[in-house]
Amino acid sequence: MGVIKKLPVYLEKIPGGNIVTTTLDYVFSQSRASSLWYLLFGTACCAIELMATGASRYDFDRLGMIFRASPRQSDLIIAAGTITKKMAPRLKLLYDQMAEPRYVIAMGGCTVSGGPFYYDSYAVEKGIDHIVPVDVYIPGCPPRPESLLEGCLTLQKRVKRMKIRDWS
Amino acid sequence: MERNQLVSYIKNKFQDTVTLLESGKGESFFQIKPEDLLVFSRAIRDDERLGMDWLSCISGVDTGERFEVVYSVASVVNRIRFNYKLVLDYDKAEIESVQKIWPGANWHERELWELYGINVNNHGNLTRFLLPDNWDQGHPLRKDWDAPDFKRMPEK
Repeated sequence: MGVIKKLPVYLEKIPGGNIVTTTLDYVFSQSRASSLWYLLFGTACCAIELMATGASRYDFDRLGMIFRASPRQSDLIIAAGTITKKMAPRLKLLYDQMAEPRYVIAMGGCTVSGGPFYYDSYAVEKGIDHIVPVDVYIPGCPPRPESLLEGCLTLQKRVKRMKIRDWS
Repeated sequence: MERNQLVSYIKNKFQDTVTLLESGKGESFFQIKPEDLLVFSRAIRDDERLGMDWLSCISGVDTGERFEVVYSVASVVNRIRFNYKLVLDYDKAEIESVQKIWPGANWHERELWELYGINVNNHGNLTRFLLPDNWDQGHPLRKDWDAPDFKRMPEK
């Protein structure tokens, strides 16, 4: 990755080099956006909707999204369900194990802000953005599969805008 | 045994230990003194007509003035169930372990201690159970419990 990251630095000094970098940008971002493999991370009832979205009626697969059981093979965490304070370090660990570029979707009220457990709860983390950076928030309790699909399309748009020079 | 029979049977058999609190449409509730806990529990388990062989749960209640510990027992053989409870002072919140009678009480008592701070004597393994391992904020189900990121539901 180090070589590709330095490409724009050298190429853009050469006349016509922009054509190469923008083409590379296009190839990389399109292929990334069309194969966002997500980590199976369902901790509560939102996981039911996540499963419904993955099954044949809503068919996540047509967006190129396939579930993976290992963080090392996945590009995306869909945090589906309440994250308790005891679960929070585990979520952080799984996020850290993923290879970059990595994305996080906060699905459902609990992961966005604590949701129904915002008041009177000693155990629930009030929003997973305290633990990991979140790209797309999907409110709802739980969100319909259509909302999740919309959220994933939003994330795809975001991924498609990425350029090589922005890589971390 | 029918519910009416059960209530009168327990009232007759343990008339100096139990007081009847409720025997309405739901399950019947009895109250016993904390010092009678072990004797009473062993008696209802070993009694032939009752035979309460299953402690299905132990609940804690914090009313703001005192603690209550509710034992829900059932008999798989005789198909009956009822509840009995103890009332404890805030300063002297401790009970005896009933593990000798129902070994399954172990986890219930750990949870009771962890969430309410009710001390369980002779438990043997009173350690952190459901909360995070590095928890240092006390017993969260007490009425007076508070923490920096804890918000009460506002009054309407």
